[in-house]
Amino acid sequence: MEGLNTMLGESPVKMDVQSLNAFYGESRAIQDINLAIPEKQVTAIIGPSGCGKSTLIRCLNRLHETGFKARVEGSVFLDGEDLYQIDATLVRRRVGMVFQKPNPFATMSIYNNVSAPLRFNGHPSRQECDDAVLRALKQAALWDEVKDRVDDPATSLSGGQQQRLCIARALAANPEVLLMDEPCSALDPIATAKIEELIGQLKQEYTVVIVTHNMQQAARVSDRTAFLYLGKLIEYGPTEDLFERPKEHLTESYITGRFG
Amino acid sequence: MTTRSDRGLRRKIFSHSMVVLSGLAIVAVMLPLFWIIYECVVLGGSHLTLNYFTQGTPPPCSPISCEAGGGLTMIQGSFIVVALATLYAVPIGIAAAIFAVEYGGGGALGALSRALSMAADVLSGVPSIVIGVFVYVLILYYDHGIVFSVTSGSLALGAIMLPIVMRTTEEALRTVPHSVREAALALGMTRWKISLRIVLISALPGVLTGILLAIARAVGEAAPLLLLDNTTLPRFLGFNYPAQSLSLGIYLWADSPYKNLQNLAWETALVLLIFVLVLSLTSRLALNRLSRKWKA
Amino acid sequence: MNENPLADTGMPRGYDLLIRHLKDRAIKLGEWALAMMHDGWRAYDVGDLKAAQGVLDRAPQLDRMDEDMEHASIAFLVLRQPTAIDLRTAAALLKITTHLDRIGRLGFDMARITTSGTNGQKELSDLHALLQQMDEVVEAMVRQSLDALGGDHVELARELFHRDDAVDQMHREANRMIVENLGEHPDMAPRLASDLLVARHFERIADNACKVGEKTIYALTGQRRSEYLPRHAYRPYALETAGPPPSKTRK
Repeated sequence: MEGLNTMLGESPVKMDVQSLNAFYGESRAIQDINLAIPEKQVTAIIGPSGCGKSTLIRCLNRLHETGFKARVEGSVFLDGEDLYQIDATLVRRRVGMVFQKPNPFATMSIYNNVSAPLRFNGHPSRQECDDAVLRALKQAALWDEVKDRVDDPATSLSGGQQQRLCIARALAANPEVLLMDEPCSALDPIATAKIEELIGQLKQEYTVVIVTHNMQQAARVSDRTAFLYLGKLIEYGPTEDLFERPKEHLTESYITGRFG
Repeated sequence: MTTRSDRGLRRKIFSHSMVVLSGLAIVAVMLPLFWIIYECVVLGGSHLTLNYFTQGTPPPCSPISCEAGGGLTMIQGSFIVVALATLYAVPIGIAAAIFAVEYGGGGALGALSRALSMAADVLSGVPSIVIGVFVYVLILYYDHGIVFSVTSGSLALGAIMLPIVMRTTEEALRTVPHSVREAALALGMTRWKISLRIVLISALPGVLTGILLAIARAVGEAAPLLLLDNTTLPRFLGFNYPAQSLSLGIYLWADSPYKNLQNLAWETALVLLIFVLVLSLTSRLALNRLSRKWKA
Repeated sequence: MNENPLADTGMPRGYDLLIRHLKDRAIKLGEWALAMMHDGWRAYDVGDLKAAQGVLDRAPQLDRMDEDMEHASIAFLVLRQPTAIDLRTAAALLKITTHLDRIGRLGFDMARITTSGTNGQKELSDLHALLQQMDEVVEAMVRQSLDALGGDHVELARELFHRDDAVDQMHREANRMIVENLGEHPDMAPRLASDLLVARHFERIADNACKVGEKTIYALTGQRRSEYLPRHAYRPYALETAGPPPSKTRK
C-alpha cells in the first residue's frame, strides 16, 4: 500500500492492523488484513454476512480469542504498541466496545452500570465515581434523560437509552478507541438517528470503529470505509470516494446491491 | 372396514381414557403426600403447643411425672450441625460450579470441569448412609475421639448438600446470558472478578434457592446422623460431642414405649414437615420476585 | 478468488431497468432536441416561415420533457439511494438533460430569427457552404453524444472533443468571413448579422454535445474532465497567431 500518510491525509494512525488472521478452530475467518485506522475519525467496516467484519473488530480488543477454539495471528498496533504482546485485560481498558444488543448489567442501577468499569478495575472515591458518571452520561447524550433517576435499575430504560447507557459505560473506562459492533441493529429509526448523531460528536474525543451492515449508515457516519468480503480486505478508502467511485469491481457490485 | 365415524369415535374414547389415566396418576402421587401430611397433623398436631419451641427433650414418663417437653434441644442440635454443614458445602459448591461453568471449554481445563460436574452428579446419587460410613472411617483414622460428634455429622451432611448446591448454582450460572460476560470482558475486567461480582450476582436468586433446598434436605437427613451424631445428651456440649437433632429424634422417639416421647416424635415430624415445606415455598417465591425485578 | 459475482444470472436487477429507462428518456429528449436543431437550421437556411413555426410549436414539449427528466432523476435518487455507478449516472443525467435542452433551445432560436426568402445567399456561397458544413458536423456530434450515452461508449464520447476543435475552427473562420463581408456588402448586413448568431449557435451546440460526452464519461468511469483533459489557456482570437486555434485535446 502507499505511504500511510498519503492514505490517511492529515490524521495520524491510531491503530495499525498488520497481517491479521483469525481462526475458529481450523477455519480461517479473516485473512491477511492490513488496515490503518486514523485517530479521532470514524472508520466503518462493511461487507455481506459472514465476511468477517465482526471477527475483525473483535480482534481489535482481543475479544475474539476468548471464544471456543479461537485463535489470532498477526499484530494490532495501538500508538505503535502491539496489543497482542501485552495483557489482554489491559488492552480492553484502552479499547472499549459496544455490542449489537444493548447489554447493561441487569442487576445494577444506571449509576452503578456506568461506574462499573471504575469500581471493578480500581478503587475510586465516591467523588471520582460521581464525576466520571456525569461526564460519561453527558458524552453519551443520556444525562438529561436520566439525571433525576440514576439510581433506577438499568432495565427501566428503553432500548435506545440502554444502548446509550452501554456507550456511557464504555466511555467511563476512558478508552482511546471505541469499537461498535452494529450498535443500531436492534434499535428503531429514531434511536438509531440519535446514536448516529452521537457518533459524530464522539469522534472529537475518541477514535471510533464501527461495523455495520447498513451501507447508508456507513455513508452517513464514517470518514473512511473498509469493505470486507470472504475474510479479505477488498477496498479501503475515504467514504465519499468508496461510495461515489469505488476502485474495485467487487466493491461496486456490493454497494450497488448487485450481490449479497 | 372402519368408517370415518368409527375412527373418530375411537379417537374420542382413547383421548378420554388418557385423561382419566392421567388423573389417576396424579391422585396416586398426591395421595401418599396428603396422607402423610394428614397423619402428621392428626398425630402431631393434637398436643402441639408453643411449648414445643421452648422446652427441651423431656425424660421418659415415670410414675411420678410425665412432662410433655418440647423440641428445643433437637432444634438447637439440628441448627448447629446443619449450619456447620452449610459452611462447608456452600463455598466449595459455589466455587466448583463457577469453575465448571466459567472455565469450561477447550483443553485440559475444560475436561477437568466436565469431570467435576460428573463427579457431583455421582455424589448426589450416593446413598446417605454410605456417606455416613465413609466419614465414620475417615474420622476414625484421623481422631477417633470425635467420631461421634457434631463435627463428623456436619461433614457427612455437608457432603450431601454439596452436589445440590453445586448443581443448582451451575444451572443458575448457565442461565446468565453470555452477553453479560462479554460486556464485562469488554470493560477490561479480570476473569475471576467477572465470575464473582457479575455472573454470580446475576445468578444469585438461583443460587440462594439451591442453598435453601440443600438446607431443607440436610435438616431432614437421618441416616448419617444415626451413625455419627446419635445421642440423647440433654444439651449441646461442644462441637466434639454429639447433639440431638430433629430428624434423628423422630427415629429415636417414634417407637418409644413412653407416651410423651411418642408424642414428641410426631410433633417433631409435623414441625419438620412444615419447615421443609415453608423453606421450599419461600425460596421459590423469593426467586420469582427477584428475577422479575431484575428482568423488568 | 475466482468468483465473479456480477456473472450474468439472466435476470435484470431492479436498478438496471430503472437506469435503462432513465437513459432512454434522456435519449428521447436528445432526439427531440436534435430534430428541433435540424429543422430550425433548415427553416433559417431556406427562409421557410412555416417550417420555423413548426419548430417553435415544439418548444413546450421540450420543456415538459426536461421537467419530467429532472423529476425522474430526483425520484430515483431519493427513493433508491444509489451509490457508485448508479449514483453517478443519475447525477450525470440531471446535467445531461440540461445540455440537451439547450441544444433544442438553440434550434428554437434559429427558427425564431428566420426571415422569408434567401436574400443574397448565392453571393455568399462560401459562407453558406461553411455554415452548411458546420450544421453537418454539429448534427453528427449531437448524434454521437446520444449514441455514446445509449451505448455506454466511453471512446465515442472522448472522440467528441476532437470534433469540437474542428467546430471551433469553423466558427472562427465564419466570424472572419462575416466581418470581411460586412465591409464589402453592407446591404447584406441583416443577413450577415443573423448568420453570425447562427454560427455562434452551432458552436454552442457543439459545446453542449461535448458536455454530454463529458458527463457520460463521468457516469461510466467516475473520471472528471480535469483528470483526462487539462484545460488549455485561452486567448482572444485577436491575440492569437494566424492559423488554427490551439487544440483542446492532448497530442
